[in-house]
Amino acid sequence: MNLSYRIYYIFLRNLYSYKRFVVPTFLVSLIEPLFYLVTFGIGMGAYIGYFGGKPYLYFLVPGVLVSSVMMTSSFECLYGTFVKMIHEKLYDSLIATPVSAEDAVAGDIAWGAFRGLISGTLMMTVAMVMGVLPASVLSAVLLLALMVLVGVMFASLAMIVTSFSPSFDFFNYYTELVITPMLFFSGVFFPLDKFPPWMKTLSEFMPLTHAVKISRAVYSGTLSSGLLWSLLVIVVLEAVAFTIGIKSMKRRLIK
Amino acid sequence: MTKTLVSAKDLRKNYGSLMAVDGISFEIQEGECFGFLGPNGAGKTTTVKMIHCVSPVTSGTLIVNGLPAHINNRALKKMTGIIPQEITLDVDLTVYENLIIFAKFFDIPKREAKKRIAELLHFVELEAKRNSKISELSTGMKRRLLVARALLNHPKLIVADEPTTGLDPQARHLIWQRLRQLKSEGVTLILTTQYMEEAQQLCDRIVVMHQGKILKEGVPSKLVAEQIGREVVEVRVPKEEDGRIVGQLAEFSSGHERVGDTLYFYCRDGQGLMRKLVELNLHNYLTRPATLEDVFLKLTGRSLIE
Repeated sequence: MNLSYRIYYIFLRNLYSYKRFVVPTFLVSLIEPLFYLVTFGIGMGAYIGYFGGKPYLYFLVPGVLVSSVMMTSSFECLYGTFVKMIHEKLYDSLIATPVSAEDAVAGDIAWGAFRGLISGTLMMTVAMVMGVLPASVLSAVLLLALMVLVGVMFASLAMIVTSFSPSFDFFNYYTELVITPMLFFSGVFFPLDKFPPWMKTLSEFMPLTHAVKISRAVYSGTLSSGLLWSLLVIVVLEAVAFTIGIKSMKRRLIK
Repeated sequence: MTKTLVSAKDLRKNYGSLMAVDGISFEIQEGECFGFLGPNGAGKTTTVKMIHCVSPVTSGTLIVNGLPAHINNRALKKMTGIIPQEITLDVDLTVYENLIIFAKFFDIPKREAKKRIAELLHFVELEAKRNSKISELSTGMKRRLLVARALLNHPKLIVADEPTTGLDPQARHLIWQRLRQLKSEGVTLILTTQYMEEAQQLCDRIVVMHQGKILKEGVPSKLVAEQIGREVVEVRVPKEEDGRIVGQLAEFSSGHERVGDTLYFYCRDGQGLMRKLVELNLHNYLTRPATLEDVFLKLTGRSLIE
């Protein structure tokens, strides 16, 4: 792969363009977590009471945190990249400069991950204001690192979908058949132990399940060796998706 | 002594089973303006895309500035400026931001880039639009901005792919002037166009392409003289009369062609031919100097190409 430091230039280009959308996207990134935390956390939490000795919000926050990273990173590399590629023909002018197609796609993946990080961080800030604090400063730092990892993974997966998507409408298959089910099968809102075995197995195949497991453990400061498996799943899937995403986008961009 | 900047031998390009460029060879000298002429789908854009390294070569050789053209050849991309056929400006950014970000792509230091951008906005007469959004520009302004963008890196080679499509005459002439100015500064120019006037205005040498092949190569004025002659006489007569008229006029014309309701005579002695037409009692005719357009139409056919 022909990658170089020019990835940063694409990131920078996106930052320039982001200046114009920063207020609306910040508002969306703030309102979305508030919805989740207020409705589920407070409304439903009132019925559920305590979860492992702590209010339901403590269970909910780490899950919603990584799922908002998933959502934001995915959408950026689905709709955002598609618009730049097809409607604005931006990639066409990029690849005629010393920026390679690989640089351009990797730059957009980095950007998608960054947008995810912003969402996740805003979510964490709201949670902290509501009194749901990570176990320690180290936990908070590790959570930020996890968000980057999860962001790159979902941005790369979205890039694969974008690379063969004929139109906008095609993205519905991915968001409705992959992203949304993951939200409900990955233990974001409730523990998975009451699932029948086949559903448990299914959820093990979902990358979000592993992200939620790590997030929850890091948030509460209860790390265990079992998490290494989850981390490995994420890292391996991320490396594979990143490679395939870039290669298949390159195939679409260079004819 | 002129130096060869681009040299292609038996160059081919397939898109799947479609043969877009079918074994062409040509050489482009440093400092000249070289034009690719042809109808839609002739393979002009595909050829120039291979030259500026955004489309891989299927077979044959293509050397640019001593290096093989290849999509990963950053050195060639660094010395080339592209004025694309489609308007590929970054609509999320302002005029100035478009240029400053593009300068980054070429690793131009910020201070130098700022100076260069000021010069270029002046060059394309867009200083007043420095902070405008792209959506606020007219098509002519957008095309001029594309010219400025292509010049950021002080290119040695400029590839202009139908640079004046959709422009009004004023805007078109401004672009031509700028391109001529660049040429006088020693920049090599590769142009694709369907506008014969554009080719005649700008090009030292042209090739006429059709269906992926080069049909003719030469200096525009010489091609007109060789292929057509000095003048063209168009006679509007029904087809049934062709036999009678063509025989009578044979001694004056070097060739003729029938398209729709018109009979075209290519000739060196237009005066003689016209006297004969009057003798034959044919008054519905038009005589005009031969142009590159006649060459183009003669070579690629006068009927619609789709």
